[in-house]
Amino acid sequence: MTTKPPLPTGPGSPQDVPPAPGQFPIDPATLPGPIRDELQAPDPVAIDTASKELKDGLNHCPKCGSTEIRQRAGTDQLVCLFCRHQWTAARVEEEFGLGEGIGELKGTQVASGAKDISADAASLRTFKCSGCGAEVVVNTENAMTARCHWCRHVLGVNEQIDNGAVPDAVLPFHIQKDDAVARIRQFVGKRQMFALKAFKQEFAPENVLGVYLPYMVVDANASADVAGYGEVETRRYTRGEGKDQKTYYDADVYQVRRHVDFTVDDLTMESNAARGNLDTQANTNNVINAILPFDTKNAVKWNASYLMGYSSEKRDRDVEQLRPRLEDQLLSIARAQVQSAVRGYDRGVRWEQEHLDVHGTRWVAMYLPVWLYSYQQGGKGGMLHYIAVNGRTGKTMGSVPVQQWKLITAALTVGTIVEGLALWFIGR
Amino acid sequence: MDNDSTLLLLAMGPASAAGLYWMLYRYYRNTDKSHAFERETAITAQPVSGMQADVKVSEVRGTQATAISGNNVGDYRRRVKRV
Repeated sequence: MTTKPPLPTGPGSPQDVPPAPGQFPIDPATLPGPIRDELQAPDPVAIDTASKELKDGLNHCPKCGSTEIRQRAGTDQLVCLFCRHQWTAARVEEEFGLGEGIGELKGTQVASGAKDISADAASLRTFKCSGCGAEVVVNTENAMTARCHWCRHVLGVNEQIDNGAVPDAVLPFHIQKDDAVARIRQFVGKRQMFALKAFKQEFAPENVLGVYLPYMVVDANASADVAGYGEVETRRYTRGEGKDQKTYYDADVYQVRRHVDFTVDDLTMESNAARGNLDTQANTNNVINAILPFDTKNAVKWNASYLMGYSSEKRDRDVEQLRPRLEDQLLSIARAQVQSAVRGYDRGVRWEQEHLDVHGTRWVAMYLPVWLYSYQQGGKGGMLHYIAVNGRTGKTMGSVPVQQWKLITAALTVGTIVEGLALWFIGR
Repeated sequence: MDNDSTLLLLAMGPASAAGLYWMLYRYYRNTDKSHAFERETAITAQPVSGMQADVKVSEVRGTQATAISGNNVGDYRRRVKRV
């Protein structure tokens, strides 16, 4: 009974449960004015785009056949730059029935764009231009469209190929570049005092890049069981006099088991190995993870025209490689769900065992829009610091490198003042 | 003033320095942030069951600890033994 639960295992760092927005471990009101002002400055606002009407289309303009097709900025519509025709199409949610029947999901359903990547699949693809017959190469590592250098036709990778570059759906950018730049400015603006000097000097948010990052969007139907021990306080009393007075507790120990059946709709996971590595000691990918969730319900059927002017990153993880991560997240969800069902144990619960049954999953590959600003910190322990803006909601998160000597000096100064007060109090 | 509270007072200086450093570091670097999928995805859960089977197995008398040892009820991302 006194045995401690084993150390955490399994993928998915950071293991810390993220704090609620605006929560600080120290009350900002107790801190010196300039620090407090920085902490309490407003965050970039995230907007809700869930109700926006969505549209989509084909690679050739359905009216004139031109390939000069762009996304109409700030909308999900495509517009033909030749005849100004704008057109509509289906959201994958309705087209493939993705929101329905999660409770009845059985087995593993994988959408065509989320299928396993062939071992010999190459990133460089050659396409025959249908306009003039020339051969045009598209590097699917970072782009999904190219212009024919002979006849100026725009070629897009529209058919699904086996290298994982073509997803099932794409969620077009809504937040435009100016907006993203303003959000990054605001985010960095409230983190100036202890920021690395070189970072501040080289800060140029105009260099932000619009990137479509690959994700797997998973629906799951699962059951979980957890078992452990919980304690209920029965008596609280004090012993000893004056300075030796101590509080003691009596408690009843219960063996506790809980079971929960649940479904999860649109759980979003990075499907690029490098991007999915959230080790905060080595990289700052966790800030890109933190701008989730997206309004994935509004994703439209894949069309390479949406990627004109943006770069993209290729998926390199298959369903089976992401399954441990999914199970880890499902267990976390189950543990969060049972938390309210053990409130009666006022001295807490020590869970020792957990069990997960995944009845069914549905996997859809999606490209999701992210504005990325990056700064490479030099020197020992330097890493690539990202500031990321959700291309749909505007949610902004980032990592600002710190000027260590400044931060240490500030901490020591405050510590010295507190220590001085303590000494004065003792010496009284 | 007894020794215990003197030590406690003396420890306040270093503790506040370390606490402030740690808090500001996190504020700039956001190393604790990630997608809170537990509350930010659409989850539909059936009512939790198993309350009837809870049995009292022992008692604790006169402990000074304010919570059960290894309390992990709110730390739901730490995996325990998978069975």
